Amino acid sequence: MSATPVSVAAEAAEAQPLSRGRVGMWCLIVAESAIFLIFIVAYLFYMGKSLDGPTPREILTVPVITTICLLSSSATMHWATAALRQGKQTAFRLFWFVTFALGAIFLIGTGREWHHFIYQENFTIHTNLFGSTYYSLVGLHATHVAVGLIALGTVLLLALLGKVKQEHSERCEILAMYWHFVDAIWVVVFTVVYGLGR
Amino acid sequence: MNSHSQSGRHDGSNEQVRLPSPTPWPILLAVGITLIAGGLVSSGIVSIVGALIAVAACVGWFRQVLPRERHGSVDVVPHDIVIASSRRKVARMEAPQAPTRARLPLEIYPISAGIKGGLAGGVAMALMAMFYGIVSHRSIWYPINLLGAVVYAHIQVTDQQMEVFHLDLLLVAIALHVTTCVLVGLLYGTLLPMLPKRPILLGGLFAPLVWTGLLHSILNIVDPVLNQHIDWLWFLASQIAFGLVAGMEVVRQVRIPTWQYPFSVRAGVESPGMMGEEDSHR
Amino acid sequence: MATDSIAIPLPRTASRSVVLDWLCTVDHKKIGIMYIVYALIFLVIMGCEAILMRIQLARPESTFLNAEAFNRLFTMHGTTGIFFVAMPMLFGFGNYFVPLMIGARDMAFPRVNAFSFWMTAFGGILLYASFFSGGSLLHGGSAPAVGWFAYAPLTAPAFSPGHGTDFWILALLVAGVGSIGAGVNFVATVLCMRCPGMTLGKMPLFAWMNLVTGAMVLVAISPLTAAQLMLIGDRFLGSHFFDPAAGGQPVMWMHFFWIFGHPEVYILIIPSFAFISEILPVFSRKAIFGYPAMVAATAGIGFISLGVWAHHMFTVGMPSYGNAFFVLTTMVVAVPTGIKIFNWLATLWGGKIRFATPMLFCIAFLFQFLIGGLTGIMLATAPFDWQLHDSYFVVAHFHYIIVGGILFAIFAAFYYWFPKMTGRMLSETLGKWHFWIMVIGFHLTFDFMHVPGLLGMPRRIYTYQAGRGWGVWNMISSIGVIFQAAAILIFVYNLVHSYFKGALAGNDPWDAWTLEWATTSPPPDYNFDAVPVVRSRRPLWDIKHPEDPDWKYE
Repeated sequence: MSATPVSVAAEAAEAQPLSRGRVGMWCLIVAESAIFLIFIVAYLFYMGKSLDGPTPREILTVPVITTICLLSSSATMHWATAALRQGKQTAFRLFWFVTFALGAIFLIGTGREWHHFIYQENFTIHTNLFGSTYYSLVGLHATHVAVGLIALGTVLLLALLGKVKQEHSERCEILAMYWHFVDAIWVVVFTVVYGLGR
Repeated sequence: MNSHSQSGRHDGSNEQVRLPSPTPWPILLAVGITLIAGGLVSSGIVSIVGALIAVAACVGWFRQVLPRERHGSVDVVPHDIVIASSRRKVARMEAPQAPTRARLPLEIYPISAGIKGGLAGGVAMALMAMFYGIVSHRSIWYPINLLGAVVYAHIQVTDQQMEVFHLDLLLVAIALHVTTCVLVGLLYGTLLPMLPKRPILLGGLFAPLVWTGLLHSILNIVDPVLNQHIDWLWFLASQIAFGLVAGMEVVRQVRIPTWQYPFSVRAGVESPGMMGEEDSHR
Repeated sequence: MATDSIAIPLPRTASRSVVLDWLCTVDHKKIGIMYIVYALIFLVIMGCEAILMRIQLARPESTFLNAEAFNRLFTMHGTTGIFFVAMPMLFGFGNYFVPLMIGARDMAFPRVNAFSFWMTAFGGILLYASFFSGGSLLHGGSAPAVGWFAYAPLTAPAFSPGHGTDFWILALLVAGVGSIGAGVNFVATVLCMRCPGMTLGKMPLFAWMNLVTGAMVLVAISPLTAAQLMLIGDRFLGSHFFDPAAGGQPVMWMHFFWIFGHPEVYILIIPSFAFISEILPVFSRKAIFGYPAMVAATAGIGFISLGVWAHHMFTVGMPSYGNAFFVLTTMVVAVPTGIKIFNWLATLWGGKIRFATPMLFCIAFLFQFLIGGLTGIMLATAPFDWQLHDSYFVVAHFHYIIVGGILFAIFAAFYYWFPKMTGRMLSETLGKWHFWIMVIGFHLTFDFMHVPGLLGMPRRIYTYQAGRGWGVWNMISSIGVIFQAAAILIFVYNLVHSYFKGALAGNDPWDAWTLEWATTSPPPDYNFDAVPVVRSRRPLWDIKHPEDPDWKYE
């Protein structure tokens, strides 16, 4: 501790309890939530206001399996970071890989859904208000999943090369915060699009 | 936490401070993203170039902070920094030694005085009302039922019903009577020190007159049953009985002096002073 | 330490690399200066746009500009002023002084900080590239002409052909990412980087207010980004968010824009409050009055301002409940704002006031901000707003806040902190000239601008008929601009001249009390030789008055 004339041991010993990485990620999550909020408001507001078809009831099918995959990836992510914190490398790599795989399944599922809509149903962002709001909201979420997957994939690669050590657990946990946020947002998007919207 | 201690706070020696090294990647990432956006209004090539730059910048940035943040070390040139002020004098905001202006009232009654006065006045008023009941209807329950009937305002009642004992009406009447008496007593305790001249006259006669008049005008709305049966002269008499007894009881209590200093002074708050530049208060 | 092997010596002295040094820097002080210089350049540009518009409006039926060019000018003037002058300027001062005031070596994320600045910078350049992207430069190239709030459906491809509106959207999107980065950085810096002993309750108000601003940036700029993404969808991908032909609602854009737009005003004014809250006490020689109340009022303003946006929309026909709600919330903002004004007055009260240039600008701020706030309350009353909506009264009102409030606070900050940033004082004589000419010009322009508004002159018209009674007032407003331009010229000359030839400042020219004055002017790369330890809100007072320190009372 640097010596300064007015130093008082009791007060100077005060710890900095907040990690700037976590605070930064929380801020980012707040900002992202605001962006999602606007898209969700637009979706809710334009629900049932399309001038012509197709309507959500006609074409949307509830993506049960991919949703289960995405939500369970939060649990595996939690186990992965817990394992890294305790220095269990093998468990960390395994759970991290499972997380990545579950996220990838989700993204593939969304891709198949879109492919089906565009080529079989002839339903695009241009079709009607439902198309505009559906593709933008689900697409915004899918973009976040994709960004998360790129980050997860990078860490996975480094982990397989043996470069992710216990000292990096803080950073992995910050990345995990982002992943949990993406999952939590999916709960909202899912409720709005496949629940209320149908 | 190693990677987070960029502040160099833990360098005990104070010879070198570690700071993040300069890096071109942030500006290149910004260039890339701007070019991607600019491509939308010019040509796709621009977007593609921008995307390439952005990806390269991301990779470069990533390699800069992982696995460890890159730092540069700077030698600390010891500066001889003297922190001093030529304005040495401090003027304090002084609390006045003696109050220059009285904060009125100088004396007040304790809260207990109001409660005692209210209860005493309430007893007097109740006695007067029951006396009226005996005189007019030969029943002490008549005025009590009248007061209690406020909760049954929508039901038609006969005189016979009003002269016999009703437990529910008694309880309602007692609750109403005690609450109102204590509240008015408290009001007396607060008000009477403010009426230095003839408090008994004002509190005992004038105030009951005023609120009897007020009640006279609004009673039809508040308690129609009471309004039908009321005898205003007797009512006024019982109010004056209350006012006189409550007033006298309150005035009998010992007064306590009020604080003549503002709250902040009494709480011991001393504000940091102002610095005098040419004056010499101290 | 393992990192020492890759350490690069920081101070590069080779002259060739000076430019590279600035482009690659992650030092919060250099980034702060870049923000400020960048904002100054755009301040001059937006001022020139204003001059052109005032020349056009000085006389009725003027043909100095055509309608199209006029539309482009007021769009660019407004957009530039909010996004590329006011925000970067305030972020610049925040960047430079928040770490210094909380005793940190840098911001929490130095590289993100650099990235944020460059995004803001390139956003501005992208916006101005529109001038050169086709069309005659005399008529403003293909600059956007949809107004700074770009109401739908005017922004639809059918009504805004060409790329003008696209430039506007993309520039704000790019700059918005930068702003969000800066917001994250401010919050994380203030929460995580404070020096030992500096609890939240002992932070300078400057840090508190930048914390609130940072948090507001996160929740206010994001909706704009979202709305811009939707607009990009409408213009490039054929979605129908704001397209009435397919059932879309232009009013949605209004809501989305103002959910950003009104908090934005507070994102600009709260850092200005921060300047005032630091400068007033030093020149009154007293501690700030009511520190906790100031903090609470700042947080209160930040919170309430998120629920007032639709007072910009009283005339679109909201239900009466909606109108009543937004009237009430808007008026509630006046309560914490009033608390602040009274606290500043109480700080002045009984002080040994020194009327140096920074203090003059602060005092002018108090008066002008108060008047601007009062006309704001007038306009918050829905029936009054129905009468004066989109008139020159509104224009005069918000210029009272932005010029009379924010810009004056920025000038105060320049005169106060220039010595710390450069090591040299700004000239007091030129400063006083600057102040008085600016005050005269400001009041000539904007006091008299209220009147044509009351007489019914709508904003955004490129000319008007003679004989409507607006001519004289517009002429007076335009004459005021001459004074303002002269004042700015004096200011810029003062900056340049004092930078080279100003009197040496020393470390602490104002005898102030916050930590930035405890290091050299300009501060070294690492800010402090040793990280300071503080015990009160005025650490330098404690050192200067060891017999009577503040921490005895706090």
